[in-house]
Amino acid sequence: MMQNKYLLLITLAFVVVIPMFMPPSTSAEMLIFGIIAVSTNIMVGYTGMLSFGQAAYFGIAAYTAGLMLKAGMPLILAAPAGVLLALVTSGIVGYFCVKRTGLYFICLTFAFNQMFYFIAYVWTDVTGGEDGLPGIPRPDFLNDDITFYVFTAVVFFACMIAMLKIVNSPLGLVFKLIRENPNRAEAIGYNIQLFKWFSFVIASSFTGVAGTIYAMVYSIVPIDQIHWLKSGDIIFMLLFGGSGSFFGPLIGAAAYIWMSDTFSVIWARWPLMMGVVFVFVVLFMRGGMAELISNIYNRFKKPNGDPEKPDDTSTDKPVEVRS
Amino acid sequence: MTFLVLSQILNGLAIGMLYALMAVGLTLILGVLNIPNFAHGVLYALGAYFTYTISELTGSFYVAILVAPFLVVLVGFVLESQGIKRLYQAHHDYQLLFLFAVALILQEVIIIVWGPVGFSVLPPAALFGAVDLGLLVYPKYRLALVVFSALVIFSLYFFLTRTNLGAILRAGIENREMVTVLGIDINKVFFLTFGLGAYLAGMAGALATPIMGLTPSMGLDILPICFVIVVVAGLGSIPGAIIAGILIGLSQGLTTIWWPEATNVVIYIMMGVTIIFRPQGLFGIR
Repeated sequence: MMQNKYLLLITLAFVVVIPMFMPPSTSAEMLIFGIIAVSTNIMVGYTGMLSFGQAAYFGIAAYTAGLMLKAGMPLILAAPAGVLLALVTSGIVGYFCVKRTGLYFICLTFAFNQMFYFIAYVWTDVTGGEDGLPGIPRPDFLNDDITFYVFTAVVFFACMIAMLKIVNSPLGLVFKLIRENPNRAEAIGYNIQLFKWFSFVIASSFTGVAGTIYAMVYSIVPIDQIHWLKSGDIIFMLLFGGSGSFFGPLIGAAAYIWMSDTFSVIWARWPLMMGVVFVFVVLFMRGGMAELISNIYNRFKKPNGDPEKPDDTSTDKPVEVRS
Repeated sequence: MTFLVLSQILNGLAIGMLYALMAVGLTLILGVLNIPNFAHGVLYALGAYFTYTISELTGSFYVAILVAPFLVVLVGFVLESQGIKRLYQAHHDYQLLFLFAVALILQEVIIIVWGPVGFSVLPPAALFGAVDLGLLVYPKYRLALVVFSALVIFSLYFFLTRTNLGAILRAGIENREMVTVLGIDINKVFFLTFGLGAYLAGMAGALATPIMGLTPSMGLDILPICFVIVVVAGLGSIPGAIIAGILIGLSQGLTTIWWPEATNVVIYIMMGVTIIFRPQGLFGIR
C-alpha cells in the first residue's frame, strides 16, 4: 500500500497548488466533488452497484445543513445533522434498492433521486422550491475564503483517509468479492444484501459530508444540485477519472468542475459541449484517466529501471530442471 | 364535484395513455437490449418538436402526427447503429453515461434550433373545442387522444402477440441467449427494437403537443415518470407497463383535484407503496 501513500502525497500537492490557479470557491468545489466521486466509487467501482441517484443524498445533506445554519445553529450541530439525515434516508432507500440488481437497481435509485427532487421542489416553505435555498451563513471562523478552503481541504483529507481505510479493510475486500462474484460471496456465507446496504450507506454518508460543506461554499443550495442530471455528472466523474482506481475519480471531479467553469463562460449551450466530452469518454477512453496515466507510467518505468535486467516474468533464461 | 372528478379521470386517462406509450417503448428497450435508455425522454421531446415544425410547414396536424414519429425513428436508428451498438458488451455505467450524454446533447440541440422559450400548439380544427358528453363537457382533442393511443397500443399488442417478429421480441425479453442460439440475428433485433421504442416515444411526443405544449425540458421532465412506471410495472412486463402507465396518469389526474402541487410527488408515493409490498413490481416475475 506504499503506492497509495505516494498518491495521497500527490493529491496533497494538488490541493496546495489548485488555489493558485483558481478562485478559492472553485477550488473548494473541486474538493467537495472529489469527496462525492470517490465515495460514490466505493459503491459503483468497488461493489459494482451502479447508483444513478447520489445527488439525492448530496442535496439532502446540503439542505439540512443549510437550513440549520440559517436557523442560527452552530456548524458543529448542523454538519453532523446533515450527514445523519443523508445516512438515514440512504439507509431506508438502500434497504429497498439492494434487493434488486442490474437495471432494476439503476431504475430504482434514479426514481428515488427524482422523488427527493420533487419533495424539495414542492416544499417551497422550507426548501425555497425552484429558487433554491439562499442566504446560508458561514460560521465566523470560516468567513475568509482562504480559511474556508483550508477547512474544506482538512475535511477532504479526513474523508480520503477514512475511505482509503475502508476499501483496504476486510469490509472493502467483501465489497470487491461481491462485485467479482456475488454467487460465490453468498455461497461462502456472506449476507450480500447486508454488505451491499453497507456500501450504499457508507457511500451516501460521505456524499452527505460533501453536501454539508457545499451548502457553505456559495451560501446557497440551488435545486439543480439534487436533480438527477447531477447524478449523471457524478457518473461522468467516475468514468472520466477511472472507476477502477481509488484516486481516479478525483481527476474526474476536478476535470468536471474545470470544464463546466470554462465552457459555461464560452457558450450558453455548454451542456452540449459536456455531452460531447461524455460521448468521447464512453467511446474512446474506457478505463478513464487513471488507466491512461498508469499505462504511460508503466511504459516509462521499464526503460528507467534496469535495462540489463530482464523482467521477472520473462522466460528467456532456460529453466533449470532439478532431478 | 362529479363533473370535476369525471373530467379529471378523463384527463388522467389521456395523460396515462401517453405514459403507457412511453413506458412500453422503454420496457421493450430495457428488456430486449438490456440498456437503461436515458435518451427516451429526449426522443419524446423530438417527436413533439418535429410535429410542431411539420404542421407549420404543411399546415396539417395529421400529416405531422404520421411523419414526426418516423423522423424520431431515424434519430433512434442513428443512435443505435453509431453508439449503442458498440456498448452492448460494455458495462451498464458506460451505456448509462452515453445515453445521458445523448439526452444532454439533443436537448441543447432543441434549444439551439427551436429556442429556449416554450410555446403551445393548437389541435386541428376538426378536434378543436369541446364536446357535450351529457354529464360533462370535454375537449374533443383529449378524447381523440385517448381513442387514438388506445388504437396504437392495441395494434402494438397485436404485433407483439400475433406476428413472428413480435414473438422474437418477446422471446428477446425472456431469454436473449436462446434467441441467438435459434439462429436469429440478434443485432437486427436490437436495431428494430430500438427503432420501435423510438417510434413509440416520438408518437407520444407528437400526440402530447396540443395538450402539454412544448418546452425544451419536456423530455427531461417525463423521463423519471417513465422509469417510475417501469419500476411499478415490474421490469420487462409490457401489459404491466400499459396498466401502470394508465394508473399513474389517473392518480395524477385525481390528485390534481385535492392537492395540485403534489401531482408529481404522488407517483413516487405509488412507487414506494408498490416496492414495499411487491419488490418485483406489480407484474414482475423476477
